[in-house]
Amino acid sequence: MKLRSSYQARVATVLILLLLVVIGALYFSVKVATRQAVQGQASAQLEVGTRVFERLLDVRGRRLADGVQLLAADFGFRDAVASGDSATMRSVLLNHGKRINASDMILLGMDGTVLASTVDEVAEGSSFRYDQALREMRRQRQAALLIVPLQGTPHLLVEAPVLAPLPIARVVMGFSMDTAFADELRSLSNLEVSFLAIDRQQPGTLVSTQPQVLRDSIVSLMLGPSRHEGVSTTEHLEHRFLSQSLVLATNADSQVLALLQSPLDSAMQAFVPLDEKILAIALVALAASLIGALLLARGVSRPVQTLAQAAERIGQGNYQTPVTLTRSDELGRLALALNAMQSGIAERERQLAHNALHDRLTGLPNRALAVERLGSAIAMQRPMALICLGIDNLRAASETAGPEAVDALLLNVSRRLQAALRPRDTLAHLMADEFLLLLDGAGRDEAVGLADKLQQLLLRPQRIGDHDLALDCRLGIAAYPADGDTAHSLLERAAIAMKDAAQMPGRLQVYEPGRDLAHRRQITLIRDLRHAPGQGQLLLHYQPKLDIRQGHVRQAEALLRWQHPQFGMVSPAEFIPLAERSGSVQLLTQWVIEEGIRQLCEWNRRGLCLQLSLNISAEDLLGDELAHRVSTLLRRYGLPAEQLVFEITESAVMREPEKALKVLHLLRDCGISLSVDDFGTGYSSLAHLKRLPVQELKIDQSFVRNLDETSEDAVIVRSTIEMSHNLGLKVVAEGVEYAHSLRLLERWQCDTAQGYLISRPLSADAFEAWVALPLSAQTSRVH
Amino acid sequence: MARCVHLLSHLILLLAAAGPASAATLEVLMQQADGRPVADAVVTLQGPAGAAAVVSSAEMDQRGQRFAPHVLAVHTGTQVRFPNSDNIRHQVYSFSTAKRFELRLYEGTPTAPLLFDKPGVVVLGCNIHDWMLGYIYVTDDPHFGVSDAQGRVRLEQLTPGDYRATVWHPQLADLQPMDGGTLHIPAAGLSHRVLLTLEPASADLPPAPTAFGDAFNRAARETAQ
Repeated sequence: MKLRSSYQARVATVLILLLLVVIGALYFSVKVATRQAVQGQASAQLEVGTRVFERLLDVRGRRLADGVQLLAADFGFRDAVASGDSATMRSVLLNHGKRINASDMILLGMDGTVLASTVDEVAEGSSFRYDQALREMRRQRQAALLIVPLQGTPHLLVEAPVLAPLPIARVVMGFSMDTAFADELRSLSNLEVSFLAIDRQQPGTLVSTQPQVLRDSIVSLMLGPSRHEGVSTTEHLEHRFLSQSLVLATNADSQVLALLQSPLDSAMQAFVPLDEKILAIALVALAASLIGALLLARGVSRPVQTLAQAAERIGQGNYQTPVTLTRSDELGRLALALNAMQSGIAERERQLAHNALHDRLTGLPNRALAVERLGSAIAMQRPMALICLGIDNLRAASETAGPEAVDALLLNVSRRLQAALRPRDTLAHLMADEFLLLLDGAGRDEAVGLADKLQQLLLRPQRIGDHDLALDCRLGIAAYPADGDTAHSLLERAAIAMKDAAQMPGRLQVYEPGRDLAHRRQITLIRDLRHAPGQGQLLLHYQPKLDIRQGHVRQAEALLRWQHPQFGMVSPAEFIPLAERSGSVQLLTQWVIEEGIRQLCEWNRRGLCLQLSLNISAEDLLGDELAHRVSTLLRRYGLPAEQLVFEITESAVMREPEKALKVLHLLRDCGISLSVDDFGTGYSSLAHLKRLPVQELKIDQSFVRNLDETSEDAVIVRSTIEMSHNLGLKVVAEGVEYAHSLRLLERWQCDTAQGYLISRPLSADAFEAWVALPLSAQTSRVH
Repeated sequence: MARCVHLLSHLILLLAAAGPASAATLEVLMQQADGRPVADAVVTLQGPAGAAAVVSSAEMDQRGQRFAPHVLAVHTGTQVRFPNSDNIRHQVYSFSTAKRFELRLYEGTPTAPLLFDKPGVVVLGCNIHDWMLGYIYVTDDPHFGVSDAQGRVRLEQLTPGDYRATVWHPQLADLQPMDGGTLHIPAAGLSHRVLLTLEPASADLPPAPTAFGDAFNRAARETAQ
């Protein structure tokens, strides 16, 4: 199984991909969230810090302003200022400036002239350049301080008037916004603070809390396009900051900028452990889920593989190895089911095999197994005798005692037969009433001995239920190698022998060579018989029936002939019994009736009016169709029913007397005359005969053929004629071959004679020609 | 103010007593452009002849933590005493060029009066009460007077003739005196109206809030918040 396509790999892959997606999403969302949090925090910090910064600047300014105001109110200071001596004034400025740590001290006259200054840049006597801005500030009374660039760095300027008690001068003190100031702001606002003064478009020195390395970048940022107020994210040497630019002061030609920065990197740094933890958790989860997925998938795919192998094994027919899967889950149940299925299949297959080779009822080998055993014996050239045993009266037993009894009987028979056999022999049950015995190493003589023994054994009555049944058997024997060298031919010959045995007095027959050819002819005839009417192989011959009293022929009997394409003309004596046995006799009758009617019509048209006798089989008397069919045909051909005579044998009527009687009445109602054929061969009583709607009796030819005055036949014939006449029946004697027989019949007032003496059966044309002959020619033999 | 009026009337009486029988009276009405009367305005006259009576002493009282009068006009060479009518001490000083002095913290009347021997404006302050502001206007002119609350100055016993008038007020620009022009005063006397343009005054009242106070209060409020 390929790893790629295996269930295990798929489960693992899907699980891992899912987990990767989840972890990835989690990681990135955390990342985004922290980044946003940091950004938000930084901007909040920046905002707060900016406010703090502005407030600090404001407070600082007011504090300084207050300090300066306090200083300016000092009497000594005022006194010194009032003295007007510039050296004194300078010294007092230095002195008092030091008290509040001012870096620049300037005394301005009321008109803005510098009276005294400690700053080199601000010359005494000159006009102070920020005087106007100071006045503006004072006028607006809002800010307490002025931020200006001074000597390249930003300075806070604070002003106070010198009162004596009227204002006589103004003292301006400057405080450098130096690194210490920036540090202080940073410690309070928690932001990186940078100041840059731009004086007359010339940037001064950067004052910053940032490390030296970043300062160039910061300066360029502050001088850059984003120098105006606003928040932006900036990057200096790969350090990221959220920066707030402030313009602290702006004059015509100078500007003081501040940059407040909240470092993002350090804030992000705080989340690095979180990232690492998430990563670690993700890796652990990944590994755990990988292992879990593999285990889970293995837990499924292994047993599935085992089950698949088991299923393949079962498919190949191996039912012995059970599936070993000790699990309590669905797969375990599947394994149990598979085992159950396997044993079930094995059992059923065994059963099927047994059924295929054994009879269901007796459990004995069937024909297939018998053939196989026979075949194997033949293959080993071991002599073998076959006894084919048929039970004749099984049907009778079934009618007497019922099918269950027959089953019991057959079981009993099989037990008895089995008991009589040697262990090496085989008893097979071929069909309901046929058994086959294979006698290993036996010849014909031994087989005959055993067969006789078996026959006697089965003749002994058996008590089944309330019945004592004695079985009448016929046995056919064939032997290998004497009677054949294939299992098939041996079986067939044994069966033929058995069939022949039915005719034998001892009902035991050893196969005679050649019997199988006759048998085969029968089978061919039976097969072809069904097609004979349709293929025009049948034809009717007509035997004239002489009206003895009138001396003319007005009647004939139609006799069926079969022109077989292979065997030539086949005698009715041969194929009629076969037709009766194979159930195709009705086909023949049907054809005969239609052909007879057709021929009669044809003759009628030519002026030959005859009454024609047709033979009706026993089968035809079992249903109503015959009468119906005949009346239909008569209507169709427009033939008077009086021209037809149906001949029925005694035995046919006797088989189902009630049904037959009904059919006969129907036929009679149609106007068809009825005749009892072969009278004297059956056992019909005269009383019974009286009930039949017949008009004619036909004495069997066996009584007529050798008729002479002294024989017993003469008595029978004569008395039959008289009795028939008494019953109002006409009498036909058939088989009349001699003239003296005819004279006797005439004397005994027999009505009609039929036989070779008058004419043999003739084809339709010949018959027509024969009838057309002068009477003398016809009856030349008679007289 | 009552004291001032009293002093003024006393001074006028003196003038009247000193002058000849043909003396004329000048009444000057000090007004701003919108007609409001200007108090504490000084008018000095330089006459054609005849010296005015010399009053050699004056008082600048401190009462209710204010200088009283707010503006005192004296002749050059006048001794001015600085009595303290309050029950707290004051430290009066001036850095003005006309007279620099400093009276250490004192109660009652200092022993010696101060001589104001140079003409000019002397701005008075108290070192411990920053809002206290007073002016002594020292002039060489023989006739002078300070306007009352109605903005009136009445100068009597004047010899009719032409006088050179000078006007001064603390709220004039740069504290500089203003030329009042030449007045011809007939014997029947003259009523003259002077229009003054004043700069806004800084209040000299005790509760006046200072910048420092503002800052302090604001800071206090902010801390309270």
